[in-house]
Amino acid sequence: MIPGIAVLAEKFRVPICIALVLGVWQIVFVLGVVNEKYFPSIPTIAVAFGQMLTDGSVIAAWATTFLRALIGLIGAALLGVALAIVSDLSPILSRGIRYVSDVLQPIPPAAFVPMAVFMLGLGSKLYAFVIILVTVWPPYLNGVAALAGVGPVQLNTGRMFGLTNWGLLWRVKLPAALPEIFTGIRYAATISLIAVIVSEMLAGRDGIGFMIFKKAFAMRTPEVFGLMFLVAINGVLLNGLVNLLRRGLTGWHMRMMERSE
Amino acid sequence: MTGILTASDVGKSYGSGDTRMAIIDGLNLSIAKGEFVSLVGPSGCGKTTLLMCLSGLLSPNLGKVGFKGQVVTAPPIGLSVVFQDYSRSLLPWKTNLDNVLFGMRRVTGMDAAQKKARALEILEAVGLPGFAGHYPWQVSGGMQQRVAIARGIASQSELLLLDEPLAAVDAQTRADMQDLLLDLAKRFDQTCVLVTHDVEEAVYMADRVLVLGPRPTRVVREIVVDLPKPRDQISTREAPAFLHARHEVMELIRSMRQGKALS
Repeated sequence: MIPGIAVLAEKFRVPICIALVLGVWQIVFVLGVVNEKYFPSIPTIAVAFGQMLTDGSVIAAWATTFLRALIGLIGAALLGVALAIVSDLSPILSRGIRYVSDVLQPIPPAAFVPMAVFMLGLGSKLYAFVIILVTVWPPYLNGVAALAGVGPVQLNTGRMFGLTNWGLLWRVKLPAALPEIFTGIRYAATISLIAVIVSEMLAGRDGIGFMIFKKAFAMRTPEVFGLMFLVAINGVLLNGLVNLLRRGLTGWHMRMMERSE
Repeated sequence: MTGILTASDVGKSYGSGDTRMAIIDGLNLSIAKGEFVSLVGPSGCGKTTLLMCLSGLLSPNLGKVGFKGQVVTAPPIGLSVVFQDYSRSLLPWKTNLDNVLFGMRRVTGMDAAQKKARALEILEAVGLPGFAGHYPWQVSGGMQQRVAIARGIASQSELLLLDEPLAAVDAQTRADMQDLLLDLAKRFDQTCVLVTHDVEEAVYMADRVLVLGPRPTRVVREIVVDLPKPRDQISTREAPAFLHARHEVMELIRSMRQGKALS
């Protein structure tokens, strides 16, 4: 009897967890801990969310926000890996890029937005600029560490079979570094979602971020929670895409790790 | 000097001035085609540095290394190193077959299908039929080293430089692998230079043992192993000639270690 329950709990762990969260939410609502105006019940939010899904402007904003995050992430991943490669090839440039990164990295996305709006307007250039500027660092830093960490035996093996420095980079170092680079890209995916929402809130024209602001000031609380749910779905989608690519390019590493566990 | 591999007055040191550390000094050797030569010496004498210099992966500061009459400045075609650390030498993102094919990247005169057939044939020769599609990390340590040996041979190698290739495998596997290496050397016409710290292994495998002195190292003694081939794990190790050679090498190394301890 008890093992039967354990098996069921294992099988349905995801719905059980979701049900728990919703249950706690509903209890807090019923107890009236927070003013109902700011903390609507689950059914209220569900109805608002359902209505939003039939609203074309919400769907359009959702797609816009997701595309912005995706484009920013792709740009940041490519630029980050390129910077890591340049750093690996040239010790002098490596130090220079590291200083720039140390200075720019702590600046939050919100601080970039006002000046970027003046420079780039409210279009896609703004979002690409801000997102890339704040998400480029994890792929870059992980890339530098991973490329430097490729062992001497692997490098000597490559040299022994006649690889030049360029060949070593493409045939040995990058494949060896790719799993660690992907750790950086996954982290960058999370940052890009933060950056896009913050930028949309500040730029104040379109996207889910702007919508959250607008609805919040209009006290349309159930809809605000519905929009937040959409942001969460964006995160799941973006992570899913990154994981798909990661499995395709570094599936060997994931299987190797699963094996050693 | 003649021979497939020669070293004349080779010297290698690191650093300069007061911190200069000489590893190799005035080393000469010549390996004839088809020979199996073991290099042994006291711990830390610079065996691995010597092997790196012989392979062209390191450049000596002094003297010359020659392979088939050409001065070695980079790893030449026809020479391959089998490293001790097979798990780091095999590329984990490639299957065993692709690792062997990676070794064949400078092989000319074969199309992709011929290369694949040749790689599969060599994988079978090292005792790994049916493991071509596995990844190195899916097979045991001894099997990984077999893949690395197969990769070396597949590179159209004539000379295998073996850097303590069996130090990391267990004792029983080691005996099997010693016989496999001797068999492969004969079957694929490989001249072999084996670096090992195991004196018994050095004598068992070799036609000739070169004993290296303490750092900065050079060849201090040459011992010809007068034993018939093929060798046998039981009877060869009991033969008087084996015991004599083993005795001579061990005594020499012990005297060097004591000399070092006294100085």
